Amino acid sequence: MWSFVLKRAGATFVTLVAASVLIFAFIHLVPGDPIYVLLGDTATPEQVDLVRHKLGLDEPIVLQYLQWAGKALTGDLGQSIFFQAPVLSVIADGAETSLLLATITMVWVVLIGVPIGMVAAMRQGSWVDQTLSGIAMLMASVPTFWVGLYLILIFAAWLGWLPSSGYPSIFESGGLGNLRYLLLPSLTLAAPNAALILRLTRASMLDVSREDYVRTARAKGIRPRQVVRRHILRNALLAVVSAFGFTFAALISEAVVTETVFALPGIGRLVVQSILRRDYPVIQGIILVIVVLYLAINLIVDLSYRLLDPRVELE
Amino acid sequence: MQSKLKLLTGGAAAVAAALFLTAQASAGGMFREATIGEPPPLDVMLTTADVASTIGEHIFETLYAFDASFVPQPMLAESDRLEDGGKTIIITLRQGVMFHNGKEMTAEDVVASMKRWGEFGSRGKLLMENATSVEATGKYEVTLKLSAPNGAWKTLIADVNGGLGIYPAEIASKAGSEPIAQEDYIGTGPYKFKEWRPNRYVELERFDGYKSRSEPASSYAGARIANFDTVRFIPVPDVGTRVSGVQAGDYDYAEMISGDLYDTLSQDPSVVIQRREAPLFGLFFMNSKDGILKDNFKLRRAIQMALDKSQALRVAFGPEDLWKAQGSVFPEGNFFYSTAGTEAYSQHDPEAAKALAKEAGYDGTPIRLLVSTNYQAHYDEATVFTQQLAEAGINVQMIVVDWATLLKMRGQPEQWDIFVTHHGFQPDPALFTFMNASYPGWWNSPEINALREELSVSVTPEARKAVWEKVQALFYGQVPAMKVGDAYAYDIASPKVKGFAKSADYRPRFWGLSFE
Repeated sequence: MWSFVLKRAGATFVTLVAASVLIFAFIHLVPGDPIYVLLGDTATPEQVDLVRHKLGLDEPIVLQYLQWAGKALTGDLGQSIFFQAPVLSVIADGAETSLLLATITMVWVVLIGVPIGMVAAMRQGSWVDQTLSGIAMLMASVPTFWVGLYLILIFAAWLGWLPSSGYPSIFESGGLGNLRYLLLPSLTLAAPNAALILRLTRASMLDVSREDYVRTARAKGIRPRQVVRRHILRNALLAVVSAFGFTFAALISEAVVTETVFALPGIGRLVVQSILRRDYPVIQGIILVIVVLYLAINLIVDLSYRLLDPRVELE
Repeated sequence: MQSKLKLLTGGAAAVAAALFLTAQASAGGMFREATIGEPPPLDVMLTTADVASTIGEHIFETLYAFDASFVPQPMLAESDRLEDGGKTIIITLRQGVMFHNGKEMTAEDVVASMKRWGEFGSRGKLLMENATSVEATGKYEVTLKLSAPNGAWKTLIADVNGGLGIYPAEIASKAGSEPIAQEDYIGTGPYKFKEWRPNRYVELERFDGYKSRSEPASSYAGARIANFDTVRFIPVPDVGTRVSGVQAGDYDYAEMISGDLYDTLSQDPSVVIQRREAPLFGLFFMNSKDGILKDNFKLRRAIQMALDKSQALRVAFGPEDLWKAQGSVFPEGNFFYSTAGTEAYSQHDPEAAKALAKEAGYDGTPIRLLVSTNYQAHYDEATVFTQQLAEAGINVQMIVVDWATLLKMRGQPEQWDIFVTHHGFQPDPALFTFMNASYPGWWNSPEINALREELSVSVTPEARKAVWEKVQALFYGQVPAMKVGDAYAYDIASPKVKGFAKSADYRPRFWGLSFE
């Protein structure tokens, strides 16, 4: 197991370096200029050149990369051009929102997707199954921004039960109560993902229930509930768990729309905004962090396979 | 016994008074404004980004400020006089004006600020290019010497947008071309910088040492009374969320609401509409340096002749309350308003346009129109015009990019023929981008250069207006840029916010307001 972790960590590092070169190259290849955005519409080329020089953006691109990568290795991701603050602290602040949002969303996804998927599978073909599958289709196909805006309209503007937007940190006044700011966004974000997990759970359970060992178990006279719990669900969940990993990682980037609609200070909105302004250090930093996160989550998923299925060998 | 009683009642009264005062001080509360996005650094001298000016204006002040008739009135200045035929400007400063760091503002600070602004400020060159010296000639007196008189000098230093905000001398002198650091956001304004939480908000707090002017407030001029304890500028990029946020009471003010919501919101008792009375206008710049429009004024006139500006304005801004199709560069009611040349503003005559284009030697070569999608109105206007030009046989090829790319590309004359931007309201002709020969578009004909010269030496308002009318006629003759039309942006406020005056404001400002 440990040699597996080490090997994977090595591979992860190589992926990381490759990714960082790509990120850097692509971002600087995109036309556009942060300095014009910074100085505004009326800036003169001379003014722009002066600021560009001050920020070191006129140096050769390879040199810029090496300087950035060297610092990144020591944990210093540089300074944001626009926020005038260290990139790492900007990301850390956004990460709180994004991770909490993704986690709460995952809770909804699991709570909604798995049990309903099970019920649908067990009642395959019945009106229950068809209704649930229909709802799932609807949830998967309605655009997130639409769901978000309507939730805001109903629960914030009309009923006044929940805040419309924003998210003050749980470390600020309000404490854990601030999590209520994430209720509507997490439900918005959960809808399409829960639908996905629901359908996956259903399909995967149906697959497994056709296996020989399930028929054998039934023939042995084991109670149907036991068969579902011990034989079908456990095996079906293997596929679902690997989807959890991807879903969680994808939530960080998928959250862009939700974060924009709910004005959440998360990573998704930060990266889009930084791309529009060409805030190179922030874009590079965020993508690097997301790549690391993806790799880590994949590692965790691989490890959890073994916990679910002792036959899986980690090599 | 009686004295004890007196002491007791006196003490109680004092405590009550103290409590009352504290209660009063905290009655201001927090004012939350939903902005369209995060600002760039708040160094108002360097940037002309509106978000930065809106916030920065509460922190930094200028020597003069515009009143409701767009006349510059003294703000940090007390008085001024001209000598040497207008070439020497002597400004006397107000005394006792404090910076947020507790230091008194003196002539040294103004001189240092002026020097930096002249060298690096976005609009600094307009005035300081001809400056031969700027000196402190007294603790509260600044003397600016110019090589030629400048009739617009007061106007040029009366707005913070890329303008002469007054910084403490040590900050202005150490800052170069780079934006000043956050700890140096120190001005004399009614609010001081408190913190910037990236992606969350910029927060200002009331500056208790603020010395307000005594004249009644008139737009940006006069008294500035800070009633709120703190003002928070929160980036809320989605317009639907900004609106719901005010309706739900999460924000007190939201800026830049889209035209399609105007009719609904006008009927909604949970919001109050604040229409900005100073209009913006779309501008389609022609490339005077390169390409087929370079000096083909006839072809440019043919292009303008084919257009129906009202249609573009309706598509881009919606209800008629929010736009006006009129050709004067200055809006109606303004001192500089003029109809010179405006008969060519929006003729919508495709046949005549086609004939004129042919006469101009146009052979169907695609005209490259550079436009960004970041501003929906730009894109809408460009789409409508492209169709209208097709009717006149003029072939337009739209190059659609994001704003950051556009800003870069428009600096490269070989890349485009027309680019789309908009112009905020400006109180003086000298401040228009097309009056600057180095602004992309590069309008540099001998005729306009002569008029620029004439305008800069015209000192009296009447003389300036006479020259301006000639400039506007030339604007329609040589078509360095096409004006789309006046568009009135609007914001919404919570009904509990009081103190709004129907005024000439072109940017929201939050002094002089309070909660009911």
